Amino acid sequence: MNDASNEVARERKPVDASSASEEPSRRRHGEGGLNLKPSGRMPSPTSLEHRSGGDQTVGQYSVDNAVFSCRDVNVFYGSKHALKKVNIDVGRKQVLAMIGPSGCGKSTFLRCLNRMNDTIAGTRVTGSIKLDGAEIQAKNQDVVQLRARVGMVFQKPNPFPKSIYDNVAYGPRIHGTTRSRADLDDIVCTSLQRAGLWDEVKDRLNRPGTGLSGGQQQRLCIARAIAIQPEVILMDEPCSALDPIATARVEDLIEVLRESYAIVIVTHSMQQAARVSQRTAYFHMGELIEVGETDRVFTNPRHRLTEDYITGRFG
Amino acid sequence: MLEGHISRAFDGALAALHIRVVEMGGLVMDQVREAAAAYTDWELGLAEHVLERELQVNQYNATLNEEQLTLIARRQPVAGDLRAIIAMSKAVAELERAGDEAKKIARTVLAQGSRPGPATSRDVRHLGQLAVSLLRSALEAFDRLDGSLALEVIARDKELDSEYAAGLRRLMTRAMEDPRQVSVAIEAAFALKSLERIGDHARNLARQVQAMGRDSQPLPETAMTPD
Repeated sequence: MNDASNEVARERKPVDASSASEEPSRRRHGEGGLNLKPSGRMPSPTSLEHRSGGDQTVGQYSVDNAVFSCRDVNVFYGSKHALKKVNIDVGRKQVLAMIGPSGCGKSTFLRCLNRMNDTIAGTRVTGSIKLDGAEIQAKNQDVVQLRARVGMVFQKPNPFPKSIYDNVAYGPRIHGTTRSRADLDDIVCTSLQRAGLWDEVKDRLNRPGTGLSGGQQQRLCIARAIAIQPEVILMDEPCSALDPIATARVEDLIEVLRESYAIVIVTHSMQQAARVSQRTAYFHMGELIEVGETDRVFTNPRHRLTEDYITGRFG
Repeated sequence: MLEGHISRAFDGALAALHIRVVEMGGLVMDQVREAAAAYTDWELGLAEHVLERELQVNQYNATLNEEQLTLIARRQPVAGDLRAIIAMSKAVAELERAGDEAKKIARTVLAQGSRPGPATSRDVRHLGQLAVSLLRSALEAFDRLDGSLALEVIARDKELDSEYAAGLRRLMTRAMEDPRQVSVAIEAAFALKSLERIGDHARNLARQVQAMGRDSQPLPETAMTPD
């Protein structure tokens, strides 16, 4: 019955009153009954905030005791203004999800947080991005040091063509954070444990990391990121190349990591943002449209564009 | 609110659900009118018809619940869509209960207890008309997702409540004047109470329209000034 009625409605797109009133079921008790014309329509909501090129983000973008504090961040790729006056804080021990259609600037913003945009010629970043109160855009900022504090996990798992052990040990080795082999063993072991991979790989630490499954590789990359004990972990669509089970594992891992790190995740899956994050930021055409508690954004978005995007009305 | 999705199938499914709730409402409204008429005219046939169609009302209730669950499972709606589906689910529950009240009135007639006199009939007929009219307005508001009409229904329910109280007082007066009327008065009081409850269900339905119309409770603040 359900399928049948869906079928009817599908053919009828968009539902119009005349065809609906022809349904036999309506006529059955129509006599003297309700002579209503189902419209299936709703007047457009008025209380949602509509913006007309304003530059104010809807919702609370600042948090107490922020790890990252970003103000008026603009990014230009050559003459293209890719990110426009973004103000947002990243809170400690919580997950900030960034959502929005392709090309909205969410990945661009993520890459600002560990100065990955430096690697793209013709990129200019203006505004203030402070990590623990210190400006990371400063000329004297050591980028290698910054990236040790702000780890990153990419969309496609990208283990180095080395052993599982060496993948995890790589960061501590180059940053010189360990003194002995025993220390290093310890870090590799705990990192793999925290990434939920230890039990699966403990007997084959010397096998190549590239021989693992996609989900395992991604968790290896996460283990590699946390081996240098960063303060913040950036994740750029970490699950888009994974199957649902591997995705669930990574999401479960994010939940655990949140107890120790701030996590910023860019995701195309709104359900994933709803599942893993405490705060959600919605970007649209280079602007930060709305940011707020995830619980609120997915039940009660304030901005029309946010509502339209999360309910699947454009994107 | 219900349309405009990229997935037109989702639009269609939501609209189909909406239409079927309105259909169910039409049936329930007819049930209320027939039940009230069965009581005031003391018509056995009408009362039997109400009881037969109560099965249809229950069928609507069961099917619509299933459809709502399916839609939630398959589409994982959020924000306004989720609110709309939950509101429709509550609307169905209100309609189902209104249908139950109509059934109670019909049962009184079928029991063939004490036939109401002209004055009592008039009171029940009057309250029945009010209840049907309230239910009709609530359904119109639900169908068009018309928030202002919904507000009107919520206000008009108070009118029905005071008519109910007045009807009860008149029943009591008649029973005191003529003790042979006591059994009629008790049954009539239950019928009036059922109609009053139907008014409440119409009001609750109107509240769901408001929940669908727009969701958001305003936040304390919008954009914050930095630090």
